[in-house]
Order: sequence, then C-alpha cells, then structure tokens
Amino acid sequence: MEGAGGGGSGGGSGVSYQRFPRVRIREMKDEYMKFELRDTDASMANALRRVMLSEVPTIAIDLVEIEVNSSVLNDEFIAHRLGLIPLCSERAMEMRFSRDCDACDGDGECPYCSIEFQLNVRCDSDQTLDVTSADLHCHDHRFLPVDVAQRALAAEAAGGYDAPEQRGIIIVKLRRGQELRLRAIARKGIGKDHAKWSPGATVTFMYEPEIHINEELMETLTHNEKLSWIESSPTKVFDLDPKTDQVIVADPEAYTYDEEVIKKAEAIGKPGLVEIYAREDSFIFTVESTGAIPAYQMVMNAIEVLKQKLDAVRLSDDIQDNDDQFGDLTRNIQGAAL
Amino acid sequence: MNAPDRYERFVVPEGTKKVSYERDTKIINAASFTVEREDHTIGNIVRMQLHRDPNVLFAGYKLPHPLQYKIIVRIHTTSQSSPMQAYNQAITDLDKELDYLKSAFEERISRKLRRVDMEY
Repeated sequence: MEGAGGGGSGGGSGVSYQRFPRVRIREMKDEYMKFELRDTDASMANALRRVMLSEVPTIAIDLVEIEVNSSVLNDEFIAHRLGLIPLCSERAMEMRFSRDCDACDGDGECPYCSIEFQLNVRCDSDQTLDVTSADLHCHDHRFLPVDVAQRALAAEAAGGYDAPEQRGIIIVKLRRGQELRLRAIARKGIGKDHAKWSPGATVTFMYEPEIHINEELMETLTHNEKLSWIESSPTKVFDLDPKTDQVIVADPEAYTYDEEVIKKAEAIGKPGLVEIYAREDSFIFTVESTGAIPAYQMVMNAIEVLKQKLDAVRLSDDIQDNDDQFGDLTRNIQGAAL
Repeated sequence: MNAPDRYERFVVPEGTKKVSYERDTKIINAASFTVEREDHTIGNIVRMQLHRDPNVLFAGYKLPHPLQYKIIVRIHTTSQSSPMQAYNQAITDLDKELDYLKSAFEERISRKLRRVDMEY
C-alpha cells in the first residue's frame, strides 16, 4: 500500500536492535588475558576471535636480502625463520601496509611502512656460535624482537645485568669460519596473509555453563555412588563437601560439555540427576598473545578492525541511488507481465 | 609456480565494487548482496543481526567457494521494510554495539592497569 518505508535508500529510519554487551576482566597480563563477555551472541564472539587471529595487524620480517650466507642453512630457510620472529608491534595499527604506501617504492627505507634490520655475524672461535634474534640490529628501538625488548626491561630492573639464561631466539648456529650477513625489511601485515603476522598464539571462547544439581535425587545416592558419579567426569567439575556429604559444583568452567556425568546418572538409574545448560549469551574468552602486542591491546585492536570492516561493507551511495531509479519492484513485475 | 598472490584473499581488485546489490526478479522485497573479499567473520554477524529484525523474513549468507573470496547475503523482508534498509540497519546496529563494547573494554582495561600501577 504505502511502499514508502524508505523506498530502498533506508538506513537510520529503522528501529534499532542494538545490544549492549557487558565485559568483566578476570585476569590481565601482558601476554595473557581472560575475560567474560555477556549479553551478546556467538556470532559476535566468534567474529572477535577470528579477527584477533587473522586480521589484527602486526609487524614481521617480510623481505630478506642475503649478502653472505655460509651457514649450514640455506637462504630460504633463514628468511623463513626470520619471518617467524615476533617483533614489538605496538605501532602496527597506525602504520601503512606497504602495498597502500605511496611514499615509497616498497623496498627499503620508508618511515610509514617498513623497518630495516641488519644482521652481521661471523664465527671466529672454535666454539659454536648461536645467531639469535638479539643479533638483529635496528635503528628504531620500538620494533625490537619481543624477547630482546623483554630482556632489556628485565636487565633494567636487575640493575643493568643480563640474565644469562635469556639468549634470544636462535636463528642458526655457526662454526669457525662461517658467516651470515643480511638485510631484512619488516612490514605490516595480517594473519590472513601469512601466519607470521598473527598476534594470537591461541584465542578461544567457551559458553558459560549453568549446572543445576537435583538435590532431592542426589540425596537418594549412597556415599560411594556419589563418589563414583563425581569421578565419572573427566574434569574436576564436582566435589563432595566433607562435612555435609553433599555433592557441590566445584568448578563449573572445568566442564567440557562431554556429558559424561549425564550418561553416568542414567547408567546408575537416576536420570535427571543433573541438568547442564550452556548460556548462549555468555562467553569466557582466553586470549594468548605472541608478545607482538599485549593481549588487551589485541582485543581493542580487534574491535577496531571489526568496526573498520563493517564500515567497508556499508552500501555505497551510488548503489542506493541506482536502486531508486528502477522504482518499486511491483512496477517492474507488472511491466514484465504485460 | 602459478599460485595466486596471497593478498588476493583480502584486497578488492581495482574496478570491482566491495558490495553489489541485486534484487530478486520474482519476489518483492528480496535481494542478494555480494560482498567482495569478506568471509564468515562479517557474513555471520550480519546474518545474526538481521535475524533480530522482526521485519526480516529471511536472512542468510553463503561462501560460495573457498577460493572465491566473497560472500552472498540474501535478505527477504516484509513490506514494512526493504532488504537495503534492513542491511543498513543491521550494520549500523553492529557498529554501535562495537562502539559500546569498545568503551566498556577501555574502561575495564584502564581500571585494571591502574590497579597494577598501585601494586608497585
């Protein structure tokens, strides 16, 4: 009748179905984080997880020019190993991708998109020499390999002395007379391109379990039956209160949705002993970072990246205008029927 | 040797539109949106957000082939709305949700960071 509603152009005029998710951080360290995400759905939780793993940008070595390599490893092998060294990437979000950088030709010194590293090591002693990430030299100290940066911090805290057990990530070992000399360019990239750019070691989420014990039915069990029922869970979800001899939920989050306790309850002839639901709007996230960016920054960057992605998939104005030209579909169909 | 470049997976080729729109020829208020260089990350959140809209009769997405880096989102709405309106609204709502989530996170993180400072 009215067909008005928006005539296609739409947007803004509709009612909002927005959600207001809640967050609670349980644990936050540089490279590890655990938090609860509530009042949203699995699609959002999974989108965040996917973005953290494969679309949050970091810096990694991408181009290697080898001048001398008389080590036992071939050039490609060394280039690959260099690429996998995590570099401090706090600045990655504001840097440019080298393919989008118009300030340079994409290979070498460019303040917007690349960082140069030098490595120059030669073994002149009879002892095997380890070439490590600490031998990578860069004029800009914001992009040091993660372990080197951490060592510098630790050394500072210890009063200028290096802890001897921290020797960096080994790239190759050299014997007397062998030499490795190269120039490496690090660039911004995302995990979708190559896993070396992924800031996430592991990112997981689980539904928060809701466990209800049928106390009445539970009391019909003998002490030994209770014990064997508790034992039937592969993870320690339940426990026995030593004073009251009651079964209690010790750690609901240890539950892996294996349903072993439910099967066990059925096996001992007490179905419905326990009911377990997955709360489909509550998630427990575990984020582990490679160290390239702190775990909390990874989450913040993921939200930002996801926002940018959404902005990119907005309909462009010309599509919306084009659609208006054709007018209502009803008219089109009627026209075709004639 | 003839492997396609890795960036093909996420860089929209020149001359291609990020989003294109095609009306259904038979059903009123139904349309397909082809989104280039996107995957389940965007497809699934948009679909689920569309399901929250009571004017949307059908919303689904597909990734036609793992080596074709695009998704197709199909929307069918009531006459009170239009696929385009629903699509725009879904994206706006998701964007606002992320804004909200971002500020919630910022607040929580700064609170945690301050507490760590106090421990020293």
